[in-house]
Amino acid sequence: MEEIKNNEFSYPGLGEIIFMKTEKFIEDVLNWGRSRSLWPLTFGTKCCAMEMIPFGATKVDADRTGTLFVGDSPRQADLILCSGTISKKMARRLLNAYEQMPSPKYVIAVGACNISGGLFHDSYNSIAGIDRIMPVDVYIPGCPPRPEMFLDAVLILRKLIKENKIKRYENGVLGRDKS
Amino acid sequence: MEFLDEIKAKFPNVLESVDGSNENESVLLLKDKTKIKRVCKEVKNHFDILFMLMAVDKPPKIFELNYVFSSYKTQNILTIRVNIERDKAVIDSISSLFESADWEERETYDLFGVEFIGHKNLKRILLPEDWPGRPLRKDFEVTDEVRNWTGLDLKF
Amino acid sequence: MRSGTGLGLISNFRFMEKERNRITINIGPVHPSTHGVLKFKVDISGDTMKKIEPEIGFVHRGVEKMAEMKYYSNFMPIADKLDYIAALNWEVLYASVVEKALKVVIPPRAVYLRTMMCELQRIMSHLLFIGHSGEDLGNTTLFMWGFRERELLMDIIEEVSGGRLAPMYISLGGMYYDLPPGLIPKLASTLDIIEKRVKNEYRALSYENGLFKMRTVGVGIIEANLAIKYGLTGPNARASGIKCDLRKNAPYLAYDKLDFDIITADAGDAYARFVVRVNEILESIKIVRQIIKDLPSGEIKVKVPWIFTIPPSYTFVRQETPRGEAAMYMVTDGGQKPYRLKIRAPSLYAVQAMSEIFVGGKVADIVAILGSLDPTPGEVDR
Repeated sequence: MEEIKNNEFSYPGLGEIIFMKTEKFIEDVLNWGRSRSLWPLTFGTKCCAMEMIPFGATKVDADRTGTLFVGDSPRQADLILCSGTISKKMARRLLNAYEQMPSPKYVIAVGACNISGGLFHDSYNSIAGIDRIMPVDVYIPGCPPRPEMFLDAVLILRKLIKENKIKRYENGVLGRDKS
Repeated sequence: MEFLDEIKAKFPNVLESVDGSNENESVLLLKDKTKIKRVCKEVKNHFDILFMLMAVDKPPKIFELNYVFSSYKTQNILTIRVNIERDKAVIDSISSLFESADWEERETYDLFGVEFIGHKNLKRILLPEDWPGRPLRKDFEVTDEVRNWTGLDLKF
Repeated sequence: MRSGTGLGLISNFRFMEKERNRITINIGPVHPSTHGVLKFKVDISGDTMKKIEPEIGFVHRGVEKMAEMKYYSNFMPIADKLDYIAALNWEVLYASVVEKALKVVIPPRAVYLRTMMCELQRIMSHLLFIGHSGEDLGNTTLFMWGFRERELLMDIIEEVSGGRLAPMYISLGGMYYDLPPGLIPKLASTLDIIEKRVKNEYRALSYENGLFKMRTVGVGIIEANLAIKYGLTGPNARASGIKCDLRKNAPYLAYDKLDFDIITADAGDAYARFVVRVNEILESIKIVRQIIKDLPSGEIKVKVPWIFTIPPSYTFVRQETPRGEAAMYMVTDGGQKPYRLKIRAPSLYAVQAMSEIFVGGKVADIVAILGSLDPTPGEVDR
């Protein structure tokens, strides 16, 4: 690719342009669809999970954003709401659930514990921030955050998906999405 | 208190009263750790459950075990305090007498490394089997290495 | 939120081994119901559970070690997060332990405010229990209602302390702030709303509903001697006919000046545990109303410095949290930090007793029984 960069014949032809435009268009349409129907896997372990539940209940109604709590199965989910301290025993299980999710997958790290360890940063058995083990798209600060902040995070994530700014693992290496 | 005198009368040279902070909370010091099971059998006549089991690490020599018993009918609390050696931390299990001692002993084994002889399922309870170290001992320091470890190399 | 009922459970099943008619399945650790991370290893024969082994420790954070690393006052936010559904009860318990060791007597207004906060937290915890049992049994309306009423009290707590789930309202020596002006009438009207709804609306949907009874009556029976054997306390024991309530039997705070009853039931099944909790909500509302009526005026705290030392001592305090008898045993050595702090979590014993309660039941009842025992992994694992 980089070899033929300066070659005049390397400029895309009309067919290629149409192909690239179409691909981009399809990708945009897909992202638009993805952003509007996020099915979360509620990986709640501790206090933040207690605030995640009002997020799905009446006052802050998650369903308005298309975030449907359909079932706690990683196979049908594309968003993992990781809320609560992750202990060292739980880390492998979290990663396992993450790996089971189908490919365009997004992560929201909820609460101070998942950002940096928070209150439990000097504990011997908690992980100081889940971005040590998996890529995180949106962080929600707070200990614990208010249910409205979950709504805000989902809206931010929708924007990120539409603009194609999602972090992904590629062959085990953390990188930004192409195109 | 009557039950205190009764228990002490059964084991005259082994049990010794320690000043409790409250009249409902009495503390007995057990001098001979091999007698723990027989003392607990006597305690069972007056108390219903093992309320909690607290181990205190007192380096360099002693682990102090505090067996707290409570009763549903009365509001009395009895603590039996036993000192065991730190390098040979072994004591008889009382889980056959008090069912609620089962997990308490496993927890003490998990976090302190005290072994309970006669316990039918003595394995770690809070931490994974291959977790290195006994975290609640005073010589276990929470270093950066411990904090930064993600635990992904642990077995399932 | 329609999780935890069907799909979540089945997806977590993993077939391990098969010997003759017995199959071992793993349930958990994520969301066996909405009660947090617990894992069960169940041997089933047909649809009947033969042997069950609960596994805990998935949110073990080493709270007892962290207590040894922090100043007395700095442990307060962690005491909050022990049982995040009943945070204020644990705050009061920890403050009581330190104050007892320090020999500090708090002013009467603080005593009454603490009692009020404990009872408000108990109502919130039991409302959450009602919501969760509804969800566990597939009754989403009950879940929505439970959380709707809980939000009303959450607003009160937020107005008082600034926090929702982890309020940090209790300080060593009293409370951080006094009640804001205009709160008492608002609280009184909120209690009226909750009482009316629990008595009328919930009745139709839960404790007098035929479908609800079919799922809960006769399920997960705990005999009184089984409860005593495993050291169950709180509503779980009271539903088995044991009259144990530290608020009445060994009064602390202002409970000896208040008029209330110990709620008991005889059946010991999941339904009895539900009814006991529903009636405890009404009883707690009664207590809070009395406190509102004779709330003394005056100081709300005595001055306790942020960093202080406690001479060598052993201090033991136990109190009644919504889940049962919680206790803290603190050993001090004259330093600025606790030498050892042992926490007794009532749910730990409920989870331990599950190995016997579940035997003979059906697999479909796991969630119903687990929900009715109301454990919180945060305090089980510490």
